[in-house]
Amino acid sequence: MTPFEEELRQALKRREPAADFTARVMARAAAEDAKRNSGFWFSWRLGLATAAVAVLTLSGGVAYKQHERSLKGMAAKRQLLIAMRITGTKLQLVQERVKESEQEAQ
Amino acid sequence: MTALLAATRSIAVARDGPSALPAFATAVETHKAMVYSIAWQFLRDRIAADELAQDVFLQLHKSWSRIESPAHLTFWLRKVATHRAIDAARKRKAQAESSLEETDEPTVLERVHDSFLSSYLQRMVASLPEKQRSVIVLRYQEEMELEEIAKVLDMKVSTVKTQISRALDLLRGKVSRRLGKGTGQ
Repeated sequence: MTPFEEELRQALKRREPAADFTARVMARAAAEDAKRNSGFWFSWRLGLATAAVAVLTLSGGVAYKQHERSLKGMAAKRQLLIAMRITGTKLQLVQERVKESEQEAQ
Repeated sequence: MTALLAATRSIAVARDGPSALPAFATAVETHKAMVYSIAWQFLRDRIAADELAQDVFLQLHKSWSRIESPAHLTFWLRKVATHRAIDAARKRKAQAESSLEETDEPTVLERVHDSFLSSYLQRMVASLPEKQRSVIVLRYQEEMELEEIAKVLDMKVSTVKTQISRALDLLRGKVSRRLGKGTGQ
């Protein structure tokens, strides 16, 4: 290192900031942490609420589908019973006709 | 002696692994002079340098989980401080243009006192173009090797060498002309 470079090195010696520098940095860092944490809890709660709404919507949808399916089942059952009743009536009529035609033949 | 201490320190840092990473407050306390001085060399304003140094440490606080070792910590701080200081100096320069040629010359030219020369050199360094100022600060304040400076400033080693050489020529010429022959050797 030349004498000039040595002069330069001396001129550019490190200097200390104010005595309370570290304390101020730590205070600002703590404030940033608190801000970030409150933001985290807010987003956590928002996430929870969204999840709850999603679960409720989903379960409501499932229940509605089940109800709809049971209504359809009951309607089908009713139609089946009516059809069976009509068929029974028709069969009875046929039986009566057959009996009548047998008696006439005798 | 200082170079020896710096070498010993860098060896100790290189030897320590990630587990040797200090607590954040300790890191601030250890490196505050380094970060503040880098900022000061670019801004030459106590309040602005203090604010910039604080911002650098707050950025470090956010990135703390990504710091791998004490050596990485020092490298990270130097890099961020230098780049932030360059940006801040650019903004200030836009507000108040000043160059090496425009810088006020000292009025007393004979029998220059050491502190006066130091102060003059600081002013001259502060008025260097930003690339030259960066390499001079990192080389003579931080006593960094050329390869380290190249990494911090994202430059080639040859560019760092050239910038240092140009800056030294400029400073020597200026000092020789203004403070008398034999000073700028």
